[in-house]
Amino acid sequence: MFVSWNWISELVDTTGVDPKAFAERFTLSVAEIEEVVEFGAGLSAVVVAEVVKISPHPNADKLRLADCDLGDRQVQVVCGAPDLKVGMRVPFVPPGVTLPSGITVRHGEVRGVPSPGMLASEADLGLSEDHDGLMELDGCDAPTGTPLPTAIALHDVLYEVDNKSITHRPDLWGQVGMAREVAALLNRPLKPLDITGLTFGDTPPLDVAISAHGHCRRYLCTRLDGVTIAPSPVAARLRLRSLGVRPINNIVDATNLAMLETGNPLHAFDASSVRGDQLIIRQAVEGEQLETLDGETRHLAPTDCVITDEQGPVALAGIMGGANSEIVATTTGVVLEAASFDGAAIRKTATRLGMRTDSSARFEKHLDPETARLAALRFCKMVLELCPDAQITASLLDKGAHIDSPPAPVAISTSRSYLRSRLGLNAEQLSDAWMDRAFSALAFELRGEGDELVVTVPSFRAGRDVGIAEDLVEELGRVFGYDHIPSEAPQVAARPPYLPPSKLQERAARQALAQGRGLTEVVLYSFESEPFRKRAGLVELSAAGHAEPRLRLANHLSADQTHLRRLLCNNLLSAMEDNLLQGNRAAEGHKGLTIGLFELSRAFVPLASNESAHPAADPGLPPALTDSTARQGYLDGLSDALREGATAALKSTAPLPWQPRRLAIALGERLGGGQQGLVSAPKAVSVRLFREAVGAVEDLCRQLQRPAPQFKRQPSVGQLPDGLIRHPGQVDLRPAWLHTARHATIAVDGRFIGLVSLIHPEVRSRLGVPAEVALVELDLDALLDVTAVPEQGEAPPKFPPSAFDLTVPCQPSVRADDLRGVLAAAGDGVVDGVSVDVQWVSEYADEGTDAFGRALTFNVTSRNPDGSLTDDNITQIRRALLGSLLDHSQVRDGWAQDMITHHS
Amino acid sequence: MSTETPAWMADIDSAALTALGAIEAAATLATLREAEVGALGRKGNVTALMKRIGKLDKSERKAFGAAAGGLRGKVTRAVSARREAIVQAAIAAELADTTFDETLPGLDGAPGHVHPLSRVQQELEDVFISMGFSVLDYPEVESEFDNFEALNIPGWHPARDMQDTFWLEGGHLLRTHTSAGQVRAMHQFKPPFRAVFPGKVYRYESTDASHDHTFHQLEGLMIGRHVSVGHLLDSMRTLLSAIFKRDVQVRLRPGYFPFVEPGFELDISCQVCDQKGCSVCKQSGWVELLPCGLVHPNVLRAGGLDPDEWQGWAFGLGLSRLVMMRYGVNDIRLLMGGDARFVEGFHPGT
Repeated sequence: MFVSWNWISELVDTTGVDPKAFAERFTLSVAEIEEVVEFGAGLSAVVVAEVVKISPHPNADKLRLADCDLGDRQVQVVCGAPDLKVGMRVPFVPPGVTLPSGITVRHGEVRGVPSPGMLASEADLGLSEDHDGLMELDGCDAPTGTPLPTAIALHDVLYEVDNKSITHRPDLWGQVGMAREVAALLNRPLKPLDITGLTFGDTPPLDVAISAHGHCRRYLCTRLDGVTIAPSPVAARLRLRSLGVRPINNIVDATNLAMLETGNPLHAFDASSVRGDQLIIRQAVEGEQLETLDGETRHLAPTDCVITDEQGPVALAGIMGGANSEIVATTTGVVLEAASFDGAAIRKTATRLGMRTDSSARFEKHLDPETARLAALRFCKMVLELCPDAQITASLLDKGAHIDSPPAPVAISTSRSYLRSRLGLNAEQLSDAWMDRAFSALAFELRGEGDELVVTVPSFRAGRDVGIAEDLVEELGRVFGYDHIPSEAPQVAARPPYLPPSKLQERAARQALAQGRGLTEVVLYSFESEPFRKRAGLVELSAAGHAEPRLRLANHLSADQTHLRRLLCNNLLSAMEDNLLQGNRAAEGHKGLTIGLFELSRAFVPLASNESAHPAADPGLPPALTDSTARQGYLDGLSDALREGATAALKSTAPLPWQPRRLAIALGERLGGGQQGLVSAPKAVSVRLFREAVGAVEDLCRQLQRPAPQFKRQPSVGQLPDGLIRHPGQVDLRPAWLHTARHATIAVDGRFIGLVSLIHPEVRSRLGVPAEVALVELDLDALLDVTAVPEQGEAPPKFPPSAFDLTVPCQPSVRADDLRGVLAAAGDGVVDGVSVDVQWVSEYADEGTDAFGRALTFNVTSRNPDGSLTDDNITQIRRALLGSLLDHSQVRDGWAQDMITHHS
Repeated sequence: MSTETPAWMADIDSAALTALGAIEAAATLATLREAEVGALGRKGNVTALMKRIGKLDKSERKAFGAAAGGLRGKVTRAVSARREAIVQAAIAAELADTTFDETLPGLDGAPGHVHPLSRVQQELEDVFISMGFSVLDYPEVESEFDNFEALNIPGWHPARDMQDTFWLEGGHLLRTHTSAGQVRAMHQFKPPFRAVFPGKVYRYESTDASHDHTFHQLEGLMIGRHVSVGHLLDSMRTLLSAIFKRDVQVRLRPGYFPFVEPGFELDISCQVCDQKGCSVCKQSGWVELLPCGLVHPNVLRAGGLDPDEWQGWAFGLGLSRLVMMRYGVNDIRLLMGGDARFVEGFHPGT
């Protein structure tokens, strides 16, 4: 949307105001200006010329020689314009002048004929994109030789206003609305638009019937005859150009000028093309078609509104006229439509048909029906000026719900003190008189005594713009200037802020993983990459083996992103693949990891039909307005239009899906060999990555002050180990990446927390890079539910412990933690009051064929709180531990007995 | 009194020779310890000598005791002296060593990296916490009501179009702004309160270097008995000065957002040129930073608050944009692209 300073200046006295400097004030008080544009600048050397003689070019068929009168002299220039004719007045550019278009005119020769200067088109002068022919200075009486800017009001300063900043202000879509703002800011009067001297006939131009009441609130119609279709004078053409509208002919230009001025779009029909004597404004019928002015055939739908004559549609209401009733060169009679169409309906049709016009863009803003009449009158005034022979030959027919039952004016009860207090101003800073003046400049009417005020809103602000006292606060504030409001510290309650445990947990997790484990945090999209999912064969299976549902988008940007992720690890694995593919990492971690990533984010799990969200999945979510009193209070406070939608929306509020906060970790190492898809990872790498992942989870639990996690394999795939509790919405038990032979469920204090797993070899074989990856996915909310380990200040033991190592030869299939458990249980209570702690230290695995080729070393620490341990005590404990392994099937036969006999 | 040398004297001399010889010969603390144990330990030769006193004639015991005790003292002193000598020699040797290479590269401790979005978010949270703001977290899949109706965005509003919102099958949506949490916060807390809620938001729009369909915002909300434009100005200037760690000027321009009235676009003084004029601020000295305003009474009502009793201000800060501004990130898609090298380009740690 452009604001023309020249146009504004016709409506407000702008003497002494620099439009460029004023732009800042405008931005601070009215709307955002994207750019201040100088129109028609740099043309002072261009002069008015008249073509007095045309002769052929001796060497070129398409060029001619034009003798031009420049007032004080004559020149002959070469001209290629086909519309060149004797007597036409055109701009002449002397040599040496650089035009806004960038062209520098030279004293040159064209095909052997000298040409000292050139005759210019509008495009040459930077006035429009129109290269077709010369700029004809018709309607310009200035003598030849007059500088162009003097001859016509060429120079203008335009504000290009950000359309988004005025979507809520239908009144600002016309120059007069903008002028009102300028007048208020300058504290100068706004001149009324000239609608004097119009005489209408007694008979209506046509019969008008409105059946689409929802689409059309007002329809004005009149008729003018004796019209001669011609181009508009240059000044009108330039004005249209400067505001971005293409001139067509005097009648169409008048509709556009009246629209630009008042904001209300108009349409003119060729009177002779209207069939019958009735116009009907109705909804289109399915299958109906209309060829619009742009030559396109439009397929209409019942949601569209059309203007029809006896035989069918002649215009697509509020958007574009029909080709069948277009103003043509032979038109002498014009039927004018000045209507007010419903914004939402126009928007719907314009969007559906992909037709965004100057007209639809304005109607979408919900225009004031009152403005339609003003626009009609201004059109008539302009036509009578442009076509002196034209006459208004009908009455101004005015129909519609807006006329039948005019809306009551909007009046807002408030008080001067309220308006001041919301701005943070007192009566000295914002006086009654100042307030009265500002409101009246914006056409608001004030009544009331003392502090009380009843403010009547002008119709052009009353639609969806100004309706409550807060809106009046804004009106006052912006005219006053927000930069003049003193800032003041708010009085606030001195209370400690609330920090949800989840927030502290996430911070601690970040610390544990980034600082403690050297991992890198990534933030990934909530949409899954479907191609990766397909390629890697990722799917979340239920215990029974069917695919778990994911939340699906009703509209998606790309067929690659159609679902929300149920698990974080899928995207994380994709990111890991990308990162491993980058190769040649600058630094390998001290723990031998190539890449370690983690993400803290929400996953999205649909509710099963019988579920309602568990508080652990969404801590602290208040269901909106479930309390009926609160709900009624809210609805009662709304306007009718809002209440309907809000009531419906409240009714349809179904429970939200699970949105558990998750932590995912991926540790990956690129493998050599390059046989992607076929390579299997060396077991040492797999073990290391898995143990790194386990260590990260252990660190996390420590950092979060939770009990040590337990790692147990699923008894059968998709099954929880005995005794674990898992809530709905938690990590799935059977993601496709779960390695059925190399994984563990993570449990803390009997609660299922998540999974740690190497990726399934099938998934690994489908990656685009040979790699081994360990994944962790766990539920932060579930972990938060586990009681923290209490801290206690215990005195350190007075007596030192006694420790020894035990290296046990065993089968490879033995679980270190099982063996540790057997030993720990055996040591317990062997000596009264002595505690025995058993920790796994290391392992040795013989690659040979010995069935007991694995050796696990445990460290046994015994402690007597009341004294030192004797050698006898240690021997007793050692024997008890060895004794527990005597019949262990996975420990080498006879080893324990041998140890008891010979070494203790 | 006999002047004859007793027979045991030779044994003492011999023991002294052995013990002191071993001590003198010790070149390390470990061999010294061996020598010491060899003399004075449970089975040491000096200890063994001492045990003989019981078998001697009474007349000899005094002299033997003095001689043996003297030997033990001598040995003890010799050990101390030798230990000191060894320690000093080691220190001298280490100090005299000229081969230590202080130019070898530092060992990589493999520090991890927190994502810049998390860092900036946490930094902002800490600023707000220090000023008494609670930090809250609300769902990303939202009801149409909380994202729109509750925020005074009725059905006809263009923001409700399919073009701007990701809808889920079944009617819920991905929140288009963190403002969706406003009404939740009003229901969760007894006024007066002040809170921020950061998080991911979603827009159904095609992506380019400055637009992504997913980005991060931080919503701020203050509810009190009396909240004015003057309060908003002061709060924003104070908060933004704390965030930018320098004195920041702010100005308000009219801006239309259905959930605030009056609504503003807030500009801050250009941090690049200090309002001298540069390409970032297009020579204006001001840079548009965030939308804000006084909470619309309909939003208060949806939050169960009586607008005659309670007022408020709210703002929505673009976290992604702030990260881009601060670190000169020229493509928003880098933030959520999952490339570890991007994250590792920032300083490690939190």
